[in-house]
Amino acid sequence: MIQTLIGVQNTAAALSAEQTRLDVISENIANANTTHGLDGKPYQRQVVVFESALQQAMTADGGLQMPALQVARIEKDDSPPIKIYDPGNPDADPSGMVSMPNININEEMADMISASRTYEANLAVVKNARTMAMEALSIGKH
Amino acid sequence: MTPPIPAMNPASGGTPINMVTPEAAPLPSARIEMPEELGQPLSTTATAPSSNSFASMLGQMVSDVNTQQNVSAQAVGALQSGQNIPLHQAVIAMEEANVSFQLMVEVRNRLMDAYQEIMRMQI
Repeated sequence: MIQTLIGVQNTAAALSAEQTRLDVISENIANANTTHGLDGKPYQRQVVVFESALQQAMTADGGLQMPALQVARIEKDDSPPIKIYDPGNPDADPSGMVSMPNININEEMADMISASRTYEANLAVVKNARTMAMEALSIGKH
Repeated sequence: MTPPIPAMNPASGGTPINMVTPEAAPLPSARIEMPEELGQPLSTTATAPSSNSFASMLGQMVSDVNTQQNVSAQAVGALQSGQNIPLHQAVIAMEEANVSFQLMVEVRNRLMDAYQEIMRMQI
């Protein structure tokens, strides 16, 4: 196979990882007010954990290995739920307190900006690799 | 895929006569390992007389580019039919197909330049 865009395989892995991160953030924001999750408890904030992985490069001989990024696991944030006073809520305890998910919307928005910027940076790498390939192809043209 | 380019580069910069000889001479020795390993199916069909020719290498390249175009078409098709393929993967596949196609066109252009220089040669 012709390898024209060098290093883009790594970038593609990073793009996928950032997309997963964005998925998790969107899930957190969507469930910011979920007081009754599947297990009956308030929704717990989720965080992604990235790890580097050895990815088999797509060369024919299969000898070359390069580190790439992947999502290791999605973990739950164990910080305690936020208690608010809302006696009318069906999930309120006898004293009228409701356990809300441990999600801070501002924090999630900041995370989303970070994920989006990282995605953009990786796209810039792809763009640059393409430009470099095109420049190399125009060697010797006048 | 680096081997074709260094061989082509002297063609662009050097004098027209010089550019043909390095192509013709080092080909059997230096560059032919790759097509022999990889290009069995195409070299047997396209160029029967010798599998060591520049034509077989070019044929191998064309089939590589075709494979890459197919990969990108599959990725886009999978994306459109709703399979769980990341958008950037399809676009990167398209981009790779595009760049390798440009490479093939560039090789063809250099080859045609060399041919036309020879045809213009005064005898």
